[in-house]
Amino acid sequence: MKLLVIEDDKTTGGYICDGLREEGHSVDLFTSGSEGLIQASIGQYDVMIVDRMLPGIDGISLVKTLRGTKNNTPVLFLTSLGGVDDRIEGLNAGGDDYLVKPFAFGELSARIAALGRRPQIQDEPVVLKVADLEMNLLSRKVKRAGQAIDLLPREFALLEHLLRRKGRVQTRTMLMEAVWDIHYDPMTNVVDTHISRLRGKVDKPFERELIETVRGSGYRIDA
Amino acid sequence: MQRVLRSIRSTPLRLTAILVTIFILSSVVSFATAYFVIRATFDSTLEDEINQRVATYQAIDDQNDLIERLKDDAETSKPELLILQYLPDQGSPISNVRHFPPISGRAIIAERAIDHRGREIAESYLARSMRVGRGQLIVAQTRNQVFEMGEIMVSVVLIGLIPTLLFAAVSGAIVARNARRKIGKIQTTLAELTSGAMEARVPINASETDDLSDISKSVNAMASSQEALIASMRQVSADIAHDLKTPIQRVAVIIEQIADKTKLSDGQEDLLDRARAETDGIVKTFQALLQLAQIEGGAVRDRLVSTDLRAVAIDVFEFLEAEAEEQGHGLHLQIEGEGQFIVRGDRHLLSQVVANLIQNGLRHTAVGSQIKVVLKKTDKGIGLTVSDNGAGIPEAEREHVLRRLYRMEKSRTTDGNGLGLSLVAAICALHGAELALSDNAPGLVVSITFPKTDPR
Repeated sequence: MKLLVIEDDKTTGGYICDGLREEGHSVDLFTSGSEGLIQASIGQYDVMIVDRMLPGIDGISLVKTLRGTKNNTPVLFLTSLGGVDDRIEGLNAGGDDYLVKPFAFGELSARIAALGRRPQIQDEPVVLKVADLEMNLLSRKVKRAGQAIDLLPREFALLEHLLRRKGRVQTRTMLMEAVWDIHYDPMTNVVDTHISRLRGKVDKPFERELIETVRGSGYRIDA
Repeated sequence: MQRVLRSIRSTPLRLTAILVTIFILSSVVSFATAYFVIRATFDSTLEDEINQRVATYQAIDDQNDLIERLKDDAETSKPELLILQYLPDQGSPISNVRHFPPISGRAIIAERAIDHRGREIAESYLARSMRVGRGQLIVAQTRNQVFEMGEIMVSVVLIGLIPTLLFAAVSGAIVARNARRKIGKIQTTLAELTSGAMEARVPINASETDDLSDISKSVNAMASSQEALIASMRQVSADIAHDLKTPIQRVAVIIEQIADKTKLSDGQEDLLDRARAETDGIVKTFQALLQLAQIEGGAVRDRLVSTDLRAVAIDVFEFLEAEAEEQGHGLHLQIEGEGQFIVRGDRHLLSQVVANLIQNGLRHTAVGSQIKVVLKKTDKGIGLTVSDNGAGIPEAEREHVLRRLYRMEKSRTTDGNGLGLSLVAAICALHGAELALSDNAPGLVVSITFPKTDPR
């Protein structure tokens, strides 16, 4: 993907760019709001990563200005301000996602991937399928290798979330937000517990492990 | 009844009452003074008249002529106006009353002291007694005019006071009501300011220049400076957040780079992991402090919407149930009542409250303890309680645990940053909910009562 990073701190900016380039993205980095805004309006980007506090034009005004010119490139805000209010303010200004510093690179990369694919809204499938695993969204039944698997509602929701995004890493915070609607850091590794329970039902009785742990990032179901 | 009591307590009304009393007292005193002055003048005029009459009798030289004249005068004088009594040294007394008390010189004699033979006489007389010819003469003139004048003056005072009193009472009540309305506005504003709505101001009518308007202006000035101060403090904390988090972000980046790009021994890996965990801890504490400041700032208040606590409780319960089980704790959710449990609130903050309380229970109780979340509708609103059967919190400590960064001695070793309960308290305050910590015998009960929502 073609990415634009607007971040005034050179260490953080450099680190983000290096990491994203290693993942195969093409990345442009700007350190001031005014330069970033010009570049954002002329370049064709898939996702923009914008720091909220910038010299020149701040991140919020930058994105508001962009949205004013009908530029709908997905924007991920990076910020030191992690309060509920700042989050809402960022999203209201036209941001699509929000990441509070300091963040793990895996989190950033997973969220960029999610944003880049967001516009592709597919027809609602009735059955989600990966390898020998089948999930019927209407009858809410799950089968693997012809064997019925009994899941609790949240386990179903968790598996559905991973299946719908097969091949893409989902971080623990992304899962918490999507499955339990928890939007703060509960300071616990309870997501891991839920995943290990799900694995106990979906993976353990079978040969191949479908739910994969991605070190330093989160979980993924391989396509 | 309460309104009457409030009126009595109102300062302007009390002032009016005091003023009216002073007015009544001063008019009574001035009328009384006037009455006594006039009466004294009147008495001296009377005395002059009496002296004149006595002088005419004294001018008669012949005793027989004197007696004749006195008999005539006594017969023709009405005793209610003039009493004449002559006691000659020899012969029968002359009098138009049966008996007048013996006096010497000048005296004021009341009606009851005089034997008046059933005839109508005055209430009071000014009398003089002296020797005339060969006998003792008493001339007494009525003082009825003085009394009549007194009565007139009393009615003047009364009739004059009634409209004054009415006017004072009505205008006092109006002034008191206006003042109460203004004071009410000031009180409402102060209450709003206290609850964190720093933009609250007392409405001021520019044309009014009384002392209450002055106080309103002072309150507004105070609120403005307070608001500016808070805004600048918030700016400072945002700046600190930015200034400190950027270097922390760099440290995190450097740690990642060391991990990625260098070959490390197991021992070095461990050290790096610990450094990573510590940076994480710093960030989380920081985050929690910032969030606290923001919630206490009250700006979130505008975003509170109808939220179903039942859904919130179920989400959090289902999220943490696995953790509780993993740690060997029992976690139970009990919802008493059907339908939604609507409060005005922020879903995420409310879910944080429930999660914080459950996690506190998990963290601070021994393995095997039971943690129970109960949601029910009460008379006062919606009640949420989270209780455990652990060691509890001693009564003396309960106040302190709501303070930020406070940790009880025994919980220093467990993880957590001492901000969880302060955050719960701040979120409760934001939602206008009552928070209470009590004894579960054994264990701790945290009860939160959300106010009833007006159906809108």
